Amino acid sequence: MPRVLDVVRIQLVHWPALLGYPLLALVAMPPLGWGIDVSNGETARGAHEIYLLPMLLGAIASAHLQTMTQVFPFTLGLGVTRRAFAAATALVVLGQALLLGLGLVAFDIVERLTGGWGRETRIFGLDVLGHGNPLALWLVYSGPLVAVSAIGVLAGVVFQRWRHTGIYLAIFGSVALLVAMGALAKTQNWWPSIGSFLGGQPSLTLFTAYPLVFALALGGAAWLVLRRATA
Amino acid sequence: MNVARMAGVTKRYGDVAALDGVSLELAENTIHGLLGRNGAGKTTVMRILTGQAFETGGEVEVFGQHPYENADVLSRVCFIRESQHYPDKFRVRHALRAAELLYPHWDPAFAAALLADFAVPVDRLLRKLSRGQLSAVGVIIGLASRAPLTLFDEPYLGLDAVARQLFYDRLLADYAEHPRTVVLSTHLIDEVSDLIEHVVLLDAGRVLIDAEAETLRGETVAVTGPAGAVERFAAGYDELHREQVGGSLRVTLAGAGNRLEPGLDFEPVSLQQLVVRTTQRNRRPVAAGKES
Repeated sequence: MPRVLDVVRIQLVHWPALLGYPLLALVAMPPLGWGIDVSNGETARGAHEIYLLPMLLGAIASAHLQTMTQVFPFTLGLGVTRRAFAAATALVVLGQALLLGLGLVAFDIVERLTGGWGRETRIFGLDVLGHGNPLALWLVYSGPLVAVSAIGVLAGVVFQRWRHTGIYLAIFGSVALLVAMGALAKTQNWWPSIGSFLGGQPSLTLFTAYPLVFALALGGAAWLVLRRATA
Repeated sequence: MNVARMAGVTKRYGDVAALDGVSLELAENTIHGLLGRNGAGKTTVMRILTGQAFETGGEVEVFGQHPYENADVLSRVCFIRESQHYPDKFRVRHALRAAELLYPHWDPAFAAALLADFAVPVDRLLRKLSRGQLSAVGVIIGLASRAPLTLFDEPYLGLDAVARQLFYDRLLADYAEHPRTVVLSTHLIDEVSDLIEHVVLLDAGRVLIDAEAETLRGETVAVTGPAGAVERFAAGYDELHREQVGGSLRVTLAGAGNRLEPGLDFEPVSLQQLVVRTTQRNRRPVAAGKES
């Protein structure tokens, strides 16, 4: 365990990439939302939502991708096992998601207290996320962050092991799978059932439980790839 | 006592055999020279010993255990690669801090002294360093880690002659105070010939020489003289090389030792010459290759 914690500290040696930049993105969202409102002339058009959260998700995924393609090979030469690195990555992902999730809850509270930044804007408290208590909201915000981090980690280890060929094949394979699943759902007329099933799920299940299961599956796949990855 | 052992190790990449039945042992508290041409298999040996690559066959032991995913083994191993890559956002101090966290015998004062010796700016981004400074960072980490098994894979890229000599001097001085097992893979054989105690010469994935450096120095000679006399003397010895100019013959012999023979001139053979001649005798086409 001490070795794992040492690797956590190494991953956090350059903490701005994992914490600083995402927090900066968080702080930048309200003024960006204001800018969008101004450019759209929507300041007086009543309650509305602005979808800036994907910006945060993108920053997180790329940070973990870099961890796997740059920090992993460096530490492998310093005698760190893949197992220790994977465990440390899981801790960092979880810690980062919880911390940023807490930040999102704080901004959500501010957003509500200020009446949507004074102009009924929803950047954080999107309707789709539900309006549970702060603890539930914390988990709702953190779940997708873990899932997106897992995508970054998996993409990173695929690149580390098979380079561009691996990434191209992974993207092609994922798109092909999604298209096949979509086609199957369409031909079987499953979309209405899928829609009503997802619509009937509580936010905590939809944005915490499912993303965590998804992240666990990707994490398992990442571990299988990492086991034979080299520097 | 040995810290590492390979027995009949093979490593294949498709049809290509990077290692072909390599057997060697690395003795405790010894500086080993891992020598050989590009593509000989030096890097592959070191990657397998550090659990970074996987042997196709044979036995590998480091500190009595297989190194792959073995925290007990790998925590005692430091591997500085040729053209070591560092994370883009890391500064020099970040890389040193990482090494400090991982190596229990890390000596921060020694690291600081080496930084000053090599004039490496500690706050600069690693990607902004020159090739030589980047190599110096690897050298500093390798030396200051004081790992019981430290492997340097051609760590001198971009280092000028003065900086390389500084590396050899610091390595030798620190090794004298803190003995450990060092493996130095290099092409600059003459530069390290006084440094290395044990020589492992690889060629085309096979071990050609595995012997004490001192023994090799004493046993290999170049004998020059009239062709007939040299031929008579050379009979029964292991001939590594021969050059004939007119009636004069010069042969390089292993196991002959230096001696006095009327009419014959004996010269000691440098380690570099021994390596070159032994590799040439292995009859591999001479061309620049890619390290595997």
